[in-house]
Amino acid sequence: MALSTKTIKTRISSVKNTKKITKAMEMVAAAKMRKAVEAALSTRMYAELSLELLKTLSQTQEVESKLLASRPVRRVLLVLITSNRGLCGSFNANIFKYSKNLLQKTKVLGTSKDTETGKEILSEDFAVDVYGIGKRSALFAKRNNVQLVAVDEALGDKPPIEAVTALTNELIQLYTSKKYDKVILAFTHYKSSLLQVVKTRQLLPVSRIDIEKMLSELPDQETDAVAPLPLDTYILEPDEPTIIETILPRLLDTSLYEALLESAASEHSARMVAMKNATEAAGDMINALTLEYNKARQAGITKEIAEISGGAAALE
Amino acid sequence: MQFHIVTPYGVIYQDAIQQVTLPTTTGYITVCEHHAPLVSVLAPGEVTIYKDGYTVGLAVSGGMIEVRTSGEVFMMADTAERAEHIDIERAEEKHKRAEELLAQVHNIEDVEFARMQAALEKELARIRVGKKYKNLPLQ
Repeated sequence: MALSTKTIKTRISSVKNTKKITKAMEMVAAAKMRKAVEAALSTRMYAELSLELLKTLSQTQEVESKLLASRPVRRVLLVLITSNRGLCGSFNANIFKYSKNLLQKTKVLGTSKDTETGKEILSEDFAVDVYGIGKRSALFAKRNNVQLVAVDEALGDKPPIEAVTALTNELIQLYTSKKYDKVILAFTHYKSSLLQVVKTRQLLPVSRIDIEKMLSELPDQETDAVAPLPLDTYILEPDEPTIIETILPRLLDTSLYEALLESAASEHSARMVAMKNATEAAGDMINALTLEYNKARQAGITKEIAEISGGAAALE
Repeated sequence: MQFHIVTPYGVIYQDAIQQVTLPTTTGYITVCEHHAPLVSVLAPGEVTIYKDGYTVGLAVSGGMIEVRTSGEVFMMADTAERAEHIDIERAEEKHKRAEELLAQVHNIEDVEFARMQAALEKELARIRVGKKYKNLPLQ
């Protein structure tokens, strides 16, 4: 008898406890994932309307804003959305891997468009800093030796929009004060509960292409497509610059908010799958241990009988 | 006319209505049927919707308003809340807290100050709308 029945029994019960925990975590993650997906969907109409409005406004005349102006890149801020907690499979590992690759791609990071001529300028020499969302982002900064400007860990699964606005304001301030010439967001796009893809999006300067890309990536939902409107007849109150200044930060808010929700949904689905695997593994382990336990028990019984019959044979 | 209130949290209100009074940064305006196309900036305050002889009150905290050539009205609000859903006591508490914060901190950054002021205005609007709905004295 290799293991005593008692040790096996303790092991079985400890694995059973682990299984209970992983099962519970799986279910919690599933529920949270559903909520995050729903919330991401409800931002869609708002984002679409603001984008349409921006489009309409830019039809009448060239829109000018500090947030649209692009300039040669010297410093890039990478906003990295990670999770606060572990046990979520390869969620963080994926985003780290992707971002690490991104750091090598000087062409993507260093390109800027001259606002006046529309020509692309490529700068070779620039620095990248990381603005982390979620505690795990610190790990990335440490491993890749990039400077971590700040870590925001208070934005949970369903952050209030005010918190996101505060974050956007901070980013806008960093951009307008020319501390950074480009702000890029890396997040996990939720495709399905089994498939999540890491994506990047340029937050600042605001480029219409990026926002349109964001809309096309949003999970499908029937939306009443509105035809582009003839615009010269619009009354603008108080004036166009004020409206642009109001709408651009809101577009950023929505973009960031949506990325946060998608990342949350991805995190939870990654955790759900990881926990499902763990639960299954625990089940297999329990079966194997039970078999071993039964064998050990049977071996014990056989041994006892052998001893008794041996003793009886010796008496005769 | 079709009236929609959309926030980042989803569609709050969507109905055919007769007229709506809403706060813009240049003052309160009322949009009736066949209004000229308009784009304006919303201020925190009270939105009153008139529909078939009754009114619906909402508190909003800034955003945009767009009246389309089709006659549809879209309100893109940061937050919007029906009057009957507002918890006056909690709103008042938040208002007091915002006032305290504004009073005690002198050297906070401009951004922070603006954010707090916006919060204060939002809570004030919520209290006003909530009280009006419950027929309480406004002061």
